[in-house]
Amino acid sequence: MAAAETTAALRVEHLSKVFEGQSALDDVEFEVRPGEIHALLGQNGCGKSTLIKVLAGYHRPEPGATCTLFGEPLELHGTPPPASAPIRFIHQDLGLLAELGAVDNLALTSGYQGHWWLGDRREARATREYLRQYGIEIDVNVPIGTLSVATQAMLAILRAIKDVPAERLVLVVDEATAALPNEEIKIVFELLRELRQRGGSVVYVTHRLSEVLEIADRVTVLRDGRKVDTRPVAGLSHDDLVRLIIGRPVEAFYATGETHREKEVVLQVEGIAGGACEDVSLEVHRGEVVGVTGLVGSGYESLLRLIFGGEERRAGSVRVAGELVEPAKPWTSIKAGLAFAPGDRKRLSAMQAWSLAENITLPKLPAGGGPLPWLGDRGERRDAQAWIDQLAIEPRNPAAPLSSLSGGNQQRVVIARWLRCGFTVLLLEDPTQGVDVGAKPAIYEALAAATEGGAGVLMSTSDIEEAAAVCDRVVVLVDGRVGAVLEGSQQTTDRIMATALSAKANDLIGASE
Amino acid sequence: MNTVTAEEKAPPAPRRRLPDLQLARFSGLYLWAAIIVVFAIAIPDSFLTSTTAKSIASDQSITAIVALAALIPLACGCFDISVAQLVGTSAVVAGSLMSKSGVSPELAIAITLLFGLAVGLINGIVVARIGVDSLVATLGMSSILLALSGLLTKYQFVGPFPDSFKSIVSGDLVGIPVITVYMAVVALIVWYLLEHTPLGRRVFAIGAGEDAARLAGVRTGRLKMGAFLASGLLSSVAGLLLAAKIGQVGPTVGPEYLLPAFAACFLGTTQIKPGRFNVLGTLLALYLLATGVTGLQLIGGELWITDLFNGVALIIAVSASILAAKRKSRRQKRVAAARAS
Repeated sequence: MAAAETTAALRVEHLSKVFEGQSALDDVEFEVRPGEIHALLGQNGCGKSTLIKVLAGYHRPEPGATCTLFGEPLELHGTPPPASAPIRFIHQDLGLLAELGAVDNLALTSGYQGHWWLGDRREARATREYLRQYGIEIDVNVPIGTLSVATQAMLAILRAIKDVPAERLVLVVDEATAALPNEEIKIVFELLRELRQRGGSVVYVTHRLSEVLEIADRVTVLRDGRKVDTRPVAGLSHDDLVRLIIGRPVEAFYATGETHREKEVVLQVEGIAGGACEDVSLEVHRGEVVGVTGLVGSGYESLLRLIFGGEERRAGSVRVAGELVEPAKPWTSIKAGLAFAPGDRKRLSAMQAWSLAENITLPKLPAGGGPLPWLGDRGERRDAQAWIDQLAIEPRNPAAPLSSLSGGNQQRVVIARWLRCGFTVLLLEDPTQGVDVGAKPAIYEALAAATEGGAGVLMSTSDIEEAAAVCDRVVVLVDGRVGAVLEGSQQTTDRIMATALSAKANDLIGASE
Repeated sequence: MNTVTAEEKAPPAPRRRLPDLQLARFSGLYLWAAIIVVFAIAIPDSFLTSTTAKSIASDQSITAIVALAALIPLACGCFDISVAQLVGTSAVVAGSLMSKSGVSPELAIAITLLFGLAVGLINGIVVARIGVDSLVATLGMSSILLALSGLLTKYQFVGPFPDSFKSIVSGDLVGIPVITVYMAVVALIVWYLLEHTPLGRRVFAIGAGEDAARLAGVRTGRLKMGAFLASGLLSSVAGLLLAAKIGQVGPTVGPEYLLPAFAACFLGTTQIKPGRFNVLGTLLALYLLATGVTGLQLIGGELWITDLFNGVALIIAVSASILAAKRKSRRQKRVAAARAS
């Protein structure tokens, strides 16, 4: 191929990486121009994380790979690039200290103004002036954990790029926005556009196709470790992107909006209050998938936890198949037929250090057949193996520790746990968060299987497209109350967004300033 | 170049890992054997005798029960450092009841066991209900128990105890000291309950992730309370055996069990079930240390060797378990990275 006439901001050639005999990247070539936002897309396992990790010096590529930054060679040998190289990374974990203010968070990596004496006012002034250049006006001393997630993401970006001139910058945003709701992402986009305006280049890794269409200039798609294509985004549609990513047509892909609703109510929630929820009532029928969504802070994030009794509630009652669940604790809820898969998979949904078998059996432990209970390794593993096979969890080894599994497989372990335990209603928090397009259908299929068995599903999600596509009904929360219940022809992305925004629109515009 | 060889080596890697893992799991066993061989060669006359074997077995029995008492709360992520002082104070309570108040040994034993349960109950309430950090709560409890020992003994020795009481630990059962038999029974029960019943699994679930356990339906508060009750009960059992064994107790007995018991629990996490607290690993660690200490004493005869050995062992134990965990997670990361990409 001919060399580019203009010097590329980032240029990677002949990049291959083999893990224990398996090819993760196969002769990939990747080029980012100065002043563009370049999206990097692909399913989990397509090699995009490996590509980023090679650039970040986490993995050493196979010999023969070359990389240049603005024409200058960058050695890729498994160590982080030197600080003088103008490439910066923002990972999903922003790496900010929530209890410290913006001043300390910025200064901990780039240094304070003072050397022998830290003057609070001088430091605050310097930070404020720096942030003002990018149009951010915040109290630089409040703990940043109390600021909006969008602001935190922007602080992480501004911290990383502080010592690099914009026109010589390559910023890699590696799914750092995955946890952000749609509206807040738009605020972060403003900052990325501002950087582009100043001549900076951005590599944007994401699962959300709508984001790519909105912000990226060009997109590179990887599949099975190979580059599929690099194209200008202008003229591409959502379906085009899906086709590039998964390599098959879109029709086979989205769940149909078939309604399974029958008359019987399996879950009845009345007047739930706690956390950000003020007063929420809703019903789930047998065989129905009900979605709960809203803006951040509307209460949708904590509603399922409150229903399950995982978080203390101020008021409200929960009935499962007509029976009141009392007291509101996880163990009573499980007894009554509720199952709960938390969104915080690392910390809340399973034990990372435990084996798959131990994680699967925990809610309903096998006690053996004898007069005394006996929990034996072999019996337990055989029991778990059946579920591992049924849900095609990789590796198919019940003794493997959960921490060795990918996110999608961990989620399936949690679902296997509850399928084994049996439930009337499944409560799912953000089931596909951080899971990419190709793996989502597997999770939707598990939902469908659960509802066909007669169970009800209540799922909270930050992804409005998903809520509109997958659910039989969507409950939109606004300021801790039910703003609307949308179904049938009303259940559209626009309508959901409009409802969610109905009371909060002004706040959001304010937050971007 | 490196990567090419790595690729070639990849297939046999799992086969090589298996014996390596076994070595990691049972390294203590091999080390124990090595210690025995070394001392058997160095001092065959004094070391290789049934007297030495019996004295190691019976001397460590009380420490072993204290270690098991510490192990149960550790399994659910709590420290109970009051176990050691509770051993001493239980011995003082039993002794005072018998030699000062003239209570019959049977009643004294019953009251002492209730006393141990009561201390466990208070620890449980403070930690599981109120939510005080377990280290802080049981540190406070240790101080209270120490005060109680002083109050009951008036800083004098208590005893001697009636022969009928002392007889509970005297003699052998088919050549094994009776006190070791008690310990073995206690260990068997704790092993069964912790490692082979749903109850024990739930206790470990709390230690593995309290919030995740709660959301999986584990009644965390109750089980933590139960763990402290069991810990209190076992500590008072150890106290009774100690009182019966030494025949009279002073006000300062107890704290010397703290270090060896916790050292055994932590060193035990590197054995049998790496990365987890477990009964067999704890016992193995304890007897390994005791054999080493006894051998060293037989050679040099200095008393401070015990403390030095325990101190060094605690540091090595914790370092070893952390290094093992790091190595394990590195290996997992490599495997996961290979699979993900």
